[in-house]
Amino acid sequence: MHIIDPHIHCVSRTTDDYLYMSRAGVVAVSEPAFWAGFDRSSAGSFYDYFRHLLDVEPKRAARYGIEHFSWLCINAKEAENVELSREVIKLIPPLLDHPRVLGIGEIGLNKNTRNEITIFEEQVDLAARFDQMILIHTPHLLDKHKGTSIICDILKNDSRIKPERVLIDHCEEHTIRLAREHGFWAGLTIYPVTKVTPQRGVDILETFGTDMICVNSASDWGESGPHMLTDTLIEFRRRGHSEDEATRVFHDNPARFFGQCPKWTIKPRLKP
Amino acid sequence: MLDARAILERQYHEMRQRALSLAADFDRIERAAGGADVIAHDARLSELRECLRVAIGTGPERAKRVQEILSDKTPAPV
Ligand SMILES: [Zn+2]
Repeated sequence: MHIIDPHIHCVSRTTDDYLYMSRAGVVAVSEPAFWAGFDRSSAGSFYDYFRHLLDVEPKRAARYGIEHFSWLCINAKEAENVELSREVIKLIPPLLDHPRVLGIGEIGLNKNTRNEITIFEEQVDLAARFDQMILIHTPHLLDKHKGTSIICDILKNDSRIKPERVLIDHCEEHTIRLAREHGFWAGLTIYPVTKVTPQRGVDILETFGTDMICVNSASDWGESGPHMLTDTLIEFRRRGHSEDEATRVFHDNPARFFGQCPKWTIKPRLKP
Repeated sequence: MLDARAILERQYHEMRQRALSLAADFDRIERAAGGADVIAHDARLSELRECLRVAIGTGPERAKRVQEILSDKTPAPV
């Protein structure tokens, strides 16, 4: 089976993970720009990080037959520093034509602060002005519901934003309705502890239907891994869903969402 | 030795995850064909409810008392 991991931070993963993904049938990944686990000291660090995303990781992935695409932004956590954020945002427009950039992301909120909201709005504006797709990071744990609700309100109040070109990621049982009722795509992030587990991920797919949902591992430098995506696929199949149904969820859904960007070349394998 | 706050700090996310996970387990059973009946009448689920009351309640040796709820209490064969 061919599958896609629509959200993974390859910069913080080992080459063994690329090998694992290749063996597991992963044909493409998308990597949003995120927090590196520490606050960076200058816009120059972000410039180098963007080069890493756009020039280094695609080559690393290609050795394992995996297509690698990225999203650019200043992440929600470092957005607390408004001055630095604005310098980083200035770096982005000249990179948007790069063949490996899918859009602006993962932007959103972390602790739902005023500064985070300011920078989120400025990056939504950036996406709108340059006609870019958007990948949204929603907050963790107790901040998630409030943050998701603020994000959805900001997006739906901007008439330039087409909801079908936005994916609200890290949705869980209490937030997926917020994303879907406004016509956004929803992302399910499968983590061993702090987000959705493989079993609960499949519960959500069964409860809400599989349309416009992308399942990802969001593997980063924390407890996570590309096997979370394949464990979810296995759980989905074990519950009796067919290989075609699995292909629709784990390959065709991300291929359809990303396919709205002309740079993305992998077509859905099945008819809708 | 870690103090109580430090232990909670270390374990909280897993405890939270276990609570969510059990809630989702009950939802999954209830959603499936025959779910309402199983949820209402299965003896193992009644035992689990009792276990949860012990787990979140007061008093010593919660784990031992949960094990006792889940143990076969029929007499040994003669
Ligand atoms: Zn991420």
